[in-house]
Order: sequence, then structure tokens, then C-alpha cells
Amino acid sequence: MSALTDLFAALVGLMTPGMIFHAAWATLLGIVIGSLPGLTATMGVALMTTLTYSLDSTAAILVLICMYVGAIYGGSRSAILLNIPGTPASAATSLDGYPLAKEGRAGYAMGLATAGSMLGTLVGIVLLVMIAPPLAEAALNFGSFEFFWLAVFGVVISGQLTADSTPVKGYIAGILGLMVAMVGSEGIHAHVRFNFGLSDMNAGIGLIPAMVGAFGFAEVLNAMWGRAGILATAKDKSDRIIPELIDLWRYKVTIVRSGVIGTLVGIIPGVGEDIGAWASYVAARRTSKEADRFGKGSHEGLTAAETGNSAVVPGSLIPAITLAVPGSASSAVLIAALFIHGIRPGPLIMIEQPQFISSVAAMLILATLFMGFYGLTLTRAFVQVLRVPYAYLMPVVFVLCVIGTYALSQRIFDIWVMIAFGLVGFVLRQMKYPMAPLVLGIILGDLLDKSLRRGLTLSDGDLTPFFTRPVSLAFVVLIAVSILANFSFVRRKVSGLLRRKKEERDA
Amino acid sequence: MNMTLADRLTAIAFAALGLAMAVGGYTMDRLEIRRIHPASIPGLVPMILGVLLVICAIVLWREARAANAGDAAIFTDGSWTRLGLTAAATLIYAIVLVGWLPFIWSTGIFVFSFATIFSWPEGAGRGAQAKAIGGALLLAVATGWGTSLLFRDVFLVRLP
Repeated sequence: MSALTDLFAALVGLMTPGMIFHAAWATLLGIVIGSLPGLTATMGVALMTTLTYSLDSTAAILVLICMYVGAIYGGSRSAILLNIPGTPASAATSLDGYPLAKEGRAGYAMGLATAGSMLGTLVGIVLLVMIAPPLAEAALNFGSFEFFWLAVFGVVISGQLTADSTPVKGYIAGILGLMVAMVGSEGIHAHVRFNFGLSDMNAGIGLIPAMVGAFGFAEVLNAMWGRAGILATAKDKSDRIIPELIDLWRYKVTIVRSGVIGTLVGIIPGVGEDIGAWASYVAARRTSKEADRFGKGSHEGLTAAETGNSAVVPGSLIPAITLAVPGSASSAVLIAALFIHGIRPGPLIMIEQPQFISSVAAMLILATLFMGFYGLTLTRAFVQVLRVPYAYLMPVVFVLCVIGTYALSQRIFDIWVMIAFGLVGFVLRQMKYPMAPLVLGIILGDLLDKSLRRGLTLSDGDLTPFFTRPVSLAFVVLIAVSILANFSFVRRKVSGLLRRKKEERDA
Repeated sequence: MNMTLADRLTAIAFAALGLAMAVGGYTMDRLEIRRIHPASIPGLVPMILGVLLVICAIVLWREARAANAGDAAIFTDGSWTRLGLTAAATLIYAIVLVGWLPFIWSTGIFVFSFATIFSWPEGAGRGAQAKAIGGALLLAVATGWGTSLLFRDVFLVRLP
């Protein structure tokens, strides 16, 4: 009950003209950015972080959250109209959204996507309010040993689940991120590592320049390298845009299930919205009575994908706020932004700023309301946005990458970092290396390094506590299982064992 | 280039990087003079990461060798010309122009060049070409002036 009261109070607190104005423009900009193929939610949040330095902390966080929610939702526009997901999160949306658009029902598909996204975010918000406070309290008991394994778990699981072809590429991306975090002054003895004689590197590689490079400049290169899509249909024959309530009621189980799956995927460190959408989509297809319609314009499939990806947003904020471990790449940028604005995410958040979780939930509700409003009223206007040519869009994006990166510390060196990460990010992406573990590695590197060395100092060099404390042991088992599951001989052995057990039982 | 070859080449690069990191961690100052606990030496985690990267590189090499002959080609689904022009324009702007010319000018020149190159109507009439130049000029002025105003006067940033 107290959580609800806090949430209501936070929502009332946000109802000032200034905050409503910020939420309105940031959500709209987020939808526009998300709807443009080549501009991702992470890029939007990273660029927006550089534009919100001068705002007060509540307004800045509201803007970033609205941008995040808007961009994840906005990706559905181009997924439906162009068959090109505006952001990777909308890849599953295009499977059923595009066929609907080709049938001339793009308006209705977008309306359904809007309703799915709104409901998904709302399910995620409920779970955020329910899960985050006890998680933060439980994390108060975490010591160096647990935080070390938490960081390892984050990088391993993110590498495992985001890799396209082979998990080893995900692990490599994670290790590269951790290596980047090793550059500069370390957190225990302030010894400067791997600065190669450059004083600019003494403070380490900044997360924001790295993220803007990997998600901004790399996307510019990617967009100019690839080919643009073709609009699905010139004429929209949808008789209505607002989804029929009967449609939504029919899929109530799908909506709740996808919302829960999306939120849980969001909680897993560094996994992100695309996996949330795919997991929800696959679960919906498996249980659907109209499974054969999936991929051919199924309303249920579209709803599941959009509910799933939107629910990841609040889900990813759960570990980000309570453990300072990002649930997605965009929430990694949010963590950096929180630090910039003087908010320290982590287990102490419930002691230092007990109202913060309610404030974030209230911000998400505000963003959801604006998302619904724009989604249902500006459906046809967004088609025009998709016609902006890359020749005009990309130079402006790159200028923002450059000046945004520079503005943080006013160092030309940060621009070079951004460029380097952009070039490396582009090449790695072409070779199917996921970017999320890289980012997670950069953000978790410091925690991993300090926790391991602090833990070893506390135990006088003894490794036993890393494996015997209950939470540590649970993490070790999870990590071992996820790594071992990659090896085919382990999978063969386990399935053979299970088959033998079944045969014995049958006999 | 196909993915197998690309994976093998990167496996070698990653193995070298991992080795360098491990050696760098091993030879790093152990701060004995400050009498720190030997388990908290700054080079510990870099050493571990270096070794792990070498292991991953070996696995990557083995998986590349095991890949079948029909594996996908990479760097083939786009335009090298567009990529080269984009890389050249962005790098010249970010590395040379920014810091050398006032920000408003460097940005204006970059945006104008980029937009003109990529929106140039090849083989079209003079009218279409003039329209492309006009559009690029308008965008260049708006972006250069707009970003300068925003960052200098609103965010109080000392522009490069």
C-alpha cells in the first residue's frame, strides 16, 4: 500500500507544467529517433545525456526515461511500414506488422503496437515497484565476493544471450569492455594503468564518449553502408487506428505473459529489448491457437512482440537502480547519467533516496501516457518522418555525436575516443560481435576489479569465500551452467542422462 | 572476405591483445613500496582478462576452423563507396576541422559537404542540382548555427 501511495505522490509531484513539457517533447523526440532506422534508443539516450547536463536532476532523468520509452516504441513504426526495425528491439514486430501494412492495415497495426507497448510498460512498472525495493534491500547484504560474481554474471549472461552466431563472440565483446575499464587510475590504490604516457587517459575511458561512438558514430557508418527500405504501402486502408477492446481482451493472457517475460529479460544484465521481444513472441506462438497466422500478420504476434520489448524498459531499470548493473545498453547510459546528476544507483538507493524508485515509476507512467497519445494521434504523421533522407539526417547526428561528446569534459580527446569506438564498433558489428556486453564490460569493469581485489584482501588471499557464501555459490552455479551449456558434449551428456532416466521410469 | 577468414584473423589479433594485456598486468608495478596486500596488486585483473581473451581467441579459431565451407561472406551487403565517403567526411570533420576552424564554420562545411555528396542528383537537370545544393546549404547553416547557439549560449560550453 505504501508503494502505491509513494507512486501516487511521485506522480502528483511530476504534474507541473515544466515537467509535463519535458515529458512531452522528450517522448516525441524518442519516438522520432526510434522510428528512424539507423538511430537506436541507446544512441538517443546517449546523445540526450549530453544535452541534459544543464537541467536539474529530476527533469534530466525524466527526459532520458521518456526518450528511452519513446525510442523503443518508435522502432515499431519503421518495422511495420518499411520492414526495417527502427531499433533492434522491433525486429520481431516487423514479422507480423509488415504483412499487416502490406494488406493496407498499417494504421491498425500501429494502433495495436501502441496498445501493446503501453500495456507492456505498465506491467513492467508494476513489477518494478514490487521487485526493486526488496532487491535493493537484499543487495545491502552483498559484499565484495557477491559483487564480483554479479559483475562476472552480468558480462557472461549478456555475452551469451546477445551473441548472434556463437557465444564466444559475446564473451570476447564482454572481455574487451572489461579491458577498456582497466585503462586509467584504478579504484583501490589510485595506480594509473595502461595510459601509454597520455595524461588524457589517466582518468580512464569515459563511458559516454565510448557509448556515443559505439552506438552513434557506428550507426551512422552502418546506415550509410547499408541500403534503405521501401515503404510498405502508399495508401493505408485501415478503417480504424485505435485497437478494438475485444482484440486486446482476447490477448489478455498474451499481454500479461509477454509483459512478465519482457520485465524478467530486462532484469537480466545487459540483455536488452530485442531479446525481450523475441522471447515473448516465441512464447506467444508456442501457446497460440492461431500459431499458423504468426509471421503472416497475426494480431497476437504483433501484440506479444511490442508488449515484450516495452516491458524490458522498466525491467532493465530494476538492476540498474538497485545494483548499478544495467539491464540493457540504454540503461547503462542511464546509470552514467544518474552519476552525472548526483544520484548514486546501487543498494544504498533505498537508504539515500527511498523515493527514487517511485519517482522513476511515475516518470515511466508519464512517458507511457504520452507514448499512447502520440501513437494514436500522430500515426499517419510518422510516415512522413520516415521519408527524411539519410543524406540530411546523418550529418546532423554526427555533429551531435561530436559536440555532445566534447561538451561533457570539453576535451578534444573525448572526440577521438568516440571516433575510435565508432570505427571499432562498426567493424565488430559487421563481424557479428554484440555491443551490449562491451558496454556492460566497461560499466562493470571497475566493480569487478575492486570487488575481486577487496575480497581477496579481506580473505587474506583465500579464494574459499568466493565459492562458499550462499549468494556467491548461486552465482557460480549460474555462471558455470550458462558457460557449460555452450559445449555440445555437455548438452549431449545431459540429454542422454535425462533420456536414460525417462526410460528407467517407463520401464 | 568470408566469416571464417575474418574470424581467424581476429582470433590472432585478440590472442595478441590478450597476451599483451597479460604481460602488461604481470609487469605492472606491484606497489611493494606502499606495502599493499599482494592480492590487491593493480595488475591482477588485467592478467586474468588477458588470459581469458587468449582462451576465447583459441576457441574462436577452433570454431572458425570447424565452420562449414558455405559460411557467410561479410562486408558485402553495403556500398564501399558510400562507406568510404562517410568515413572520410566524418574523420576530416572530427579530427581536422574541429579545433582548427571555429565550430560553427567546421560544422557548416561538414554538413554542407556531406548532404551535397549524398543527395547529389546524378544526371539530373540543373534545377534538381541547384535544389540539392540549396537544401544542403540550408541544413548546414541551420545545424552550424543551431548547435553553436544551443551549446554555447544554453549549455555554456566553450566550443572547440
